[in-house]
Amino acid sequence: MSKSVPVSDKSGDCEIKQSQRKESETIQPPTVSISLADTDSVLDFAPKDDDEGSGSEFSSSRVGDNEGSEISTVPDKYGFLGGQQYKAYPDNKKLDPRTISQLLNRERKWLDMLRSWDLYMSKNYKKVRTRCRKGIPRKVRPKAWLFLCGGNLLMTSHEPGTYAEFLSREGDPKYLADIQKDIDRQFFHEMFLSRDSNSTVGGEEEKPPPGKQALVNILKAYSVVNPVVGYCQAQAPIAAFLLMHMPEEHAFWCLYSICDKYLRGYYSPGMEMIQLDGDILFNLLKKVSPHIHRLLTKQQVDPIMYMTEWFLCAFVRTLPWETLLRVWDMFLCE
Amino acid sequence: MPLPDKREFLYKILVIGELGAGKTSIIKRYVHQFFSPHYRATIGVDFALKVINWDQETIIRLQLWDIAGQERFGNMTRVYYKEAVGAFIVFDVTRAATFDAVLKWKQDLDAKVTLPDGNSIPCVLLANKCDQPKEGIANNQNKIDEFVKENNFSGWFETSAKDNINIDDAAKMLVQKILENDKVQANGNSRPTSEPMFSLSKDQDTKSRKNCAC
Repeated sequence: MSKSVPVSDKSGDCEIKQSQRKESETIQPPTVSISLADTDSVLDFAPKDDDEGSGSEFSSSRVGDNEGSEISTVPDKYGFLGGQQYKAYPDNKKLDPRTISQLLNRERKWLDMLRSWDLYMSKNYKKVRTRCRKGIPRKVRPKAWLFLCGGNLLMTSHEPGTYAEFLSREGDPKYLADIQKDIDRQFFHEMFLSRDSNSTVGGEEEKPPPGKQALVNILKAYSVVNPVVGYCQAQAPIAAFLLMHMPEEHAFWCLYSICDKYLRGYYSPGMEMIQLDGDILFNLLKKVSPHIHRLLTKQQVDPIMYMTEWFLCAFVRTLPWETLLRVWDMFLCE
Repeated sequence: MPLPDKREFLYKILVIGELGAGKTSIIKRYVHQFFSPHYRATIGVDFALKVINWDQETIIRLQLWDIAGQERFGNMTRVYYKEAVGAFIVFDVTRAATFDAVLKWKQDLDAKVTLPDGNSIPCVLLANKCDQPKEGIANNQNKIDEFVKENNFSGWFETSAKDNINIDDAAKMLVQKILENDKVQANGNSRPTSEPMFSLSKDQDTKSRKNCAC
């Protein structure tokens, strides 16, 4: 809870918080549950115990709540090992109860919006945009992203077995080899890491971590659907990032949409679009920050020396995790 | 003891070769004395700086340019290669196909960057992952010797970033070549050796810092 500060106007504030806290604790779990077709992810609104932090957006996984989880075997709340994410973002401090009710409200609004998605997008896009800019609540984010980027539309406009059919086709062996080389070097995230040393049970063949095959699959499927583009190394971080949020088939349709609509031309063999965007960025820089522009020009620092990874991977490998999620909320919306 | 005036050089070195040959690993080993099997795929280009106390009065800074191996990044290499004075081409001894691509990389390099006198920049071939079982030509040292001579490499080394084999020696050879070239250039053009050819030299850096408002 917030520290009690002995200043009169602050204490008034505190009272409000107290009353809102009560309100948030007595909220009934809404009857809606998000149905992400093949995950059993069900929204859980009700605070589980007296600890007001636990009902919040930020602590659905209690594992990560260890103060400074330096032990590399314990993933943080996003599934990362090593605890680095934690130290940089001390958000495991108790949350303001006012924020909790606000978060619950936001989640409910998002659920409403997702239920009449087409209507919102056609009649009230501004509302969608405002809400994206405020940050999509963590629990609805996977579904919201799927809807926002048009992945859902793509998925439902194709026959149900389409993705499986893509997978069953034979891919270009060159692309498949490149994909295979990259699988082990994506995120330092539990879903992509083998647990070789920790849990080998009786000499049994170790099962590959769940994320790996899915990653191979969606990258392969894309290279099959769009053989002209095939596989570009920069697609792998994006694919992996999507898989951290949604099931394989959803991630595929999102990837498809991102590669062909949002970042069209980025990954094709000539890679002209990225160079063009580099020049655009550089010209924007001239407007916004002429002295930096002058310095970079003088030192002959070409934009593609620094922005290639930022743009090609849509900042997935660049920004701190929390920031990245918020940027993607807007990236997919706008 | 008062130190004699130290000469400082900054050299831009390219590290190129096929995807997954171990370019990043070699650089990390050379610069940070460290190995991990989990380096991320390089997208675009990465940089690292290695400082060498070459002799009593010479400090050499190697600016290592770690360039993405996937073919489609080839369109951008003209920018990345600019003003480089040396290069490593890396292949993976466990995959013969990565050796087959070496010539393509060498030709790309020679076509896009040359020394001021028009000669190709010195280039050392690295047969990486030599701690593992070899495939194809990597088993035949004579053939590689021949190949290196024919295609105008400065030399070649079997390397292992994992076991730290030969990487320092390879770098030493490349620097030696670069220094020789520098002397030749200096004699030919009466360009003083202490004034390097590229833009990131020390005094220019401080000068530009004055102009920078940040």
